[in-house]
Amino acid sequence: MLSFFVSPFAGNAFMVNALVAGVLVSVSCGIVGTFVVLRGLAFMGDALAHGALPGIAVALLLGLPGILGAAAGAAAMVLGIGLITRRSNLGSDTAIGLLFVGMLALGVAIVSRSRSFSGDLVRILFGEILGIKAGEILLQLVATVLIGCAVVLFRRPFLLLCFSPEQAETSGFPARVYHGIMLGLIALTVVVSFKTVGTLLVFGMLLAPAAAAALFSRKVGTMMLAASLLGSLSTYLGLLMSYHLGIAAGASITLSASAVFFVLLAVARVRAAGQGGSGAPEDGSPGEAAEGPGGEEAEHA
Amino acid sequence: MLDPEQGRGLAGGPAVETRGLVVGYGREAVVSGLDVVLGRGRSLALVGANGSGKTTFLKAIAGLIAPLSGSISVLGAPPLAQPARVAYMGQFHPSSFLLPLAVLDIVRMGRFASLGLLGKAGPEDEAAVREAIELMSLGPIAQWPLSALSGGQRQRVFLAQTIARRAELVLLDEPAANMDAASRQGYRRYLQKAAERGVSSVVATHDIDEAMACDQALLLARRVVAYGSAQEVLTADAVSATFGLVGRYSEGKLVVMEAEHGHCGEEGAEDHRHRAIR
Amino acid sequence: MPGRAAAAIGAALCLALLGAGCSVSKGPGSGRKSMVVTYSVLGSVARELAGDKMDVSVMIPDGLDVHEWEPSARDIETLTRADLVVENGLGLEGGMGKALDQARKAGAKFFTASDHIEVRAVGVGEGIPSGDPDQAAGAEDPHLWTSPLAVESIVRALAAQLESDFGIDVSERAKDLEARLARLDAEIAGDVAAVPAANRKLVTGHESLGYFAQRYGFKLVGAVIPSLSTEAESSARDFAALEKLIAAEGVKVVFTELGTPEKTVGALAEEAGVRAVPLATHSMPPDGSYFTFERNLATTIVEALK
Repeated sequence: MLSFFVSPFAGNAFMVNALVAGVLVSVSCGIVGTFVVLRGLAFMGDALAHGALPGIAVALLLGLPGILGAAAGAAAMVLGIGLITRRSNLGSDTAIGLLFVGMLALGVAIVSRSRSFSGDLVRILFGEILGIKAGEILLQLVATVLIGCAVVLFRRPFLLLCFSPEQAETSGFPARVYHGIMLGLIALTVVVSFKTVGTLLVFGMLLAPAAAAALFSRKVGTMMLAASLLGSLSTYLGLLMSYHLGIAAGASITLSASAVFFVLLAVARVRAAGQGGSGAPEDGSPGEAAEGPGGEEAEHA
Repeated sequence: MLDPEQGRGLAGGPAVETRGLVVGYGREAVVSGLDVVLGRGRSLALVGANGSGKTTFLKAIAGLIAPLSGSISVLGAPPLAQPARVAYMGQFHPSSFLLPLAVLDIVRMGRFASLGLLGKAGPEDEAAVREAIELMSLGPIAQWPLSALSGGQRQRVFLAQTIARRAELVLLDEPAANMDAASRQGYRRYLQKAAERGVSSVVATHDIDEAMACDQALLLARRVVAYGSAQEVLTADAVSATFGLVGRYSEGKLVVMEAEHGHCGEEGAEDHRHRAIR
Repeated sequence: MPGRAAAAIGAALCLALLGAGCSVSKGPGSGRKSMVVTYSVLGSVARELAGDKMDVSVMIPDGLDVHEWEPSARDIETLTRADLVVENGLGLEGGMGKALDQARKAGAKFFTASDHIEVRAVGVGEGIPSGDPDQAAGAEDPHLWTSPLAVESIVRALAAQLESDFGIDVSERAKDLEARLARLDAEIAGDVAAVPAANRKLVTGHESLGYFAQRYGFKLVGAVIPSLSTEAESSARDFAALEKLIAAEGVKVVFTELGTPEKTVGALAEEAGVRAVPLATHSMPPDGSYFTFERNLATTIVEALK
């Protein structure tokens, strides 16, 4: 029985490498994803992931490392979004939507010039976690440490941004600057992770574990820890599935992450129903019934 | 007419001073000709209907928007230059109803302005947080996530966060909106404490009673209708001009409606609830 | 709750990683060495050569596109545990690049077929000038198995390597195979002679018949996918250029293969008035013999162009 869970990794260096890389990606995505979820930046995260594609495609054709291209693409996407939302009356949603469809098409068009088009496209979109090399793992490690340090350093302005950009600004943390740094960290995560799960799926790894963690955690620190653990668990389950069922590894991992989220969502709903729909902790004393949520609104005079 | 006594206030220069200030968005001016002097330890009420320019003016003082022309000086420096000394509480907190963070942690965020990026939190910070929680009676729900609270409870949390900042100047935009009677009491308790400590305040409100309790009042209707000591400025005429209200005398008191109804004075007018103004 | 859950998850992960640390021996010993060949055509030759002295298996299932196929985790495991990996080289196995690297890292011995033949490069004036770096003169063609003479060289080299790396003697078999391959080559040359020179023009699904054309004197006019790999895309410009070429050269037949887009060929057939003839260039006949494969290939071409 135990061998079912252990044998794919026993003696298979490439599987252990994949697991390590996946865990590192989970940690980065868990940390950064927490802020993506708390600030409602999901769409932006998705846009960055799609912006990476044409960059990678160009780098591929020029023979440059894909990571440089990914970074350039993500940066172009962020600038593009900023430009459009500032110059026109269209809201961010429309701008982002138009940009990323365009970038996706641009990326596919560029890749189509390559002689290994269909293979390349699949590899960029869905990653090649089973082919991860030691050098790439090291890069992932460096990026993860960098991200961790940045988040510890900037935890206060980031928290304030989640609450209210105005409060961040008036507390002495320029909202634009820290928003930019946060976007930069998301871009870094996407850019470094595309080799493992691919640009299409990294977005899922960014969102699902953090969203699941947010269902139960009330502190940002535990949210990040839980997201990292849930992501790592998804990596392990995904690789296990990929081995035993012969299905694509990157997709299996992201599928596991989504499944974990939905399971935990169901658990959260059941728990909330059991507490009378409040979602509040049991440590508020029952005598404070008057303080229940949905309490009295102001008298309107 | 502004009483020179009002302008001077406590030593150290005015809390807020604006000269020929024009505020607005983009190129569109909302209010011009703002010449305001608020002394230390004094309070200023910004009175007007929605869209009258109260929020715009407050944001300009807070440094969130740049003036279109004229100057602002806040505690002797440009706006936003001293975040630890000035606290701003806006009307809207985007997405706050989604946040799973606990009330206590939200209030704690009020200390970040003084702590900066890396400062270590000490006993003074904890004391400020505790006091704010007590003042707004948040003790029983201190561990509850923000997303589980009602609108009124959330408003108390936002105010507590602002209180915890222990700023020398507080800028509040409709702080008592959505609050029930008990919460309003907590808010008034805070105002008292703040006045005792010499905290200056600028409060935007459309509650005349609240305005009367301040030292100065500035009446706005996309222009300066009146400015001066609250007692003098808040007259029936001025309020009419500010809100476009209609007033009539009833039992020796001037009764004012919030908007022109057209059918008051007819049968059944008593069913309306109106606020009395002295 | 979050704390306890985190601890449980952490414990499970530690268990998994610990398990990974313990190595397991390389499978039940049958005593024989294992040879994993990447694709079926080369595999059939390898099997004829060494099948009774080694455990020979083929990785890419026959009938699937060799250029695009990607291995699963189990496949990569098999590859890394093989004693000898026999690959084509020159990037034929497009989807297996990383997996083959993993096998190299794991210490498997490699035999690269293209190392032992005269590699053909795309010639100037061949096919469609699409600007594709792949069609640029000098690009190396991996489809070496379509020439029996190339296969002969490979058999010789593989036999030598089996002797030196593993001490396995297949010299008898090798000699036999080489003789039969030489005979096959002569046969085909004879059959091809029946095709008038003016008709020896090839339009294929992709650039796969280079070695055949070179050996037996055919002209490569063009390909539906102007690339050495099916992974490439065909563009509108390429299609138009192909049509022109077909008209200019008076081509009557287009040979379709695995991975050739059917719709494109259908359109071509209608517009250029050509006949589409399916050709098995990458997949094996039911009896699994290279000789049957090559004879079928030659016969189909000869019959269609006579």
